[in-house]
Amino acid sequence: MKSSLPPLGPPVSRDRVIASFPKWYTPDACLQRKEQFHGQVNEACQHRHTGTVGLKLSKVVVVGDLYVGKTSLIHRFCKNVFDRDYKATIGVDFEIERFEIAGVPYSLQIWDTAGQEKFKCIASAYYRGAQVIITAFDLTDVQTLEHTRQVPGSAALRVHEGSGTCPTGLPKPEPVAGQWLEDALRENEAGSCFIFLVGTKKDLLSAAACEQAEAEAVHLANEMQAEYWSVSAKTGENVKAFFSRVAALAFEQSVLQDLEKHSSSRLQVGDGDLIRA
Amino acid sequence: MEEPPLREEQEEEEEDDDERDEAGPEGALGKSPFQLTTEDVYDISYVMGRELMALGSDPRVTQLQFKIVRVLEMLEALVNEGSLTVEELRMERDNLRKEVEGLRREGPPANGEVNLGPDKMVIDLADPNRPRFTLQELRDVLQERNSLKSQLLLVQEELQCYKSGLIPAREGPGERREEDAVVPRVSKGGSNKEEKTTIKKLGSFITWQEGDEQAGKRRSGDFADA
Repeated sequence: MKSSLPPLGPPVSRDRVIASFPKWYTPDACLQRKEQFHGQVNEACQHRHTGTVGLKLSKVVVVGDLYVGKTSLIHRFCKNVFDRDYKATIGVDFEIERFEIAGVPYSLQIWDTAGQEKFKCIASAYYRGAQVIITAFDLTDVQTLEHTRQVPGSAALRVHEGSGTCPTGLPKPEPVAGQWLEDALRENEAGSCFIFLVGTKKDLLSAAACEQAEAEAVHLANEMQAEYWSVSAKTGENVKAFFSRVAALAFEQSVLQDLEKHSSSRLQVGDGDLIRA
Repeated sequence: MEEPPLREEQEEEEEDDDERDEAGPEGALGKSPFQLTTEDVYDISYVMGRELMALGSDPRVTQLQFKIVRVLEMLEALVNEGSLTVEELRMERDNLRKEVEGLRREGPPANGEVNLGPDKMVIDLADPNRPRFTLQELRDVLQERNSLKSQLLLVQEELQCYKSGLIPAREGPGERREEDAVVPRVSKGGSNKEEKTTIKKLGSFITWQEGDEQAGKRRSGDFADA
């Protein structure tokens, strides 16, 4: 019966097919160290138990200072182009990228937000419901790294927020310069998002300078509980590997969440696959 | 607007002068106290001195004379100061009037120097790049752009299905018309059904994003299913 299942949507291009679990960039700041899909996920995918809908879609939000290269990064991945000229993103833009992961169709909806402060009031409305938050900074500009999160000194508050016991009754703070991660997290349930810290413009640094910048970023990534990547949209270095990693992690998480939901509702509703078949 | 009263005043003053000239020293006593000048006070003291002298050298008259002189001195001081103040105010008024006229002549650009207070901005209407549109208008345009983009992606995906043969070509021509519709048609084949669901889902997901602000977290559950 399983083998007779129809194909799900048009075929994805070959370099969007992810069969084995993509590796981290550096073991010093990564979200998972395993090199295979979760056993349950593998099994579910083989038997197409991956939910009744047949389409999985995750929302990815890319935030960070203006001119760090958020749009360039996304365009390199989705369109394989690089434009030297800077054009500020107005408000928000998006791309949808289709994958096939462990034989199952899967899409990333990548939201590209404006880095200019004046657009924050528009862009922040799109933070909600993100499964992945990518905070980008410019490897050649240490300030942009600092802006990915609040200035050090309020670490206690951040830990507080991270643990999901955010004090109630406090007025919602206004967005201020930087604080990209805090703003994005505020719109999402605590602990529900994968966080990536991405250093851009890797091509502009010497190997030594890059190493130095990375050391600092890895330190911050660990504080943020984020996975760290260095990329170059200009040369394309690590771009595909990075988004494959994002897709695989998000995919695995949503399959696991589905399986969990499924097993708890199966007794009452029955197997959803029966409806589909 | 401000010219006529000035003229009236001047005319009044002239009239007063005429009056006094005609009435002579005696006339000063008939004037309004607010129009008295020091000249008038001297005229009054001349008239009164003459009359006191006519009363003879009664010691009571002499006593009264001292008091009258004192009163006249006080009157002189008051009139003096009053006329000085009037002169000062008149000069100040004239200066201010000139200033206002100068500002008026400089015209609209002078508005830029007007202090608007905090959180206010002056817009140069001659600037072709001046801010014109509201935040809501930008939001609306972005929403429209995003929904058009999602429709484009949807159509591209559908086109790919045709090209790759997932949707048989013979079904094409008859149903082409319907493709103009925003919501994808309900298809017949099993494979199509599957795919339409996915495309539809994509479309509605975008739509949800657009209405996000109003919808709040109402549909975050739906997202988890997506």
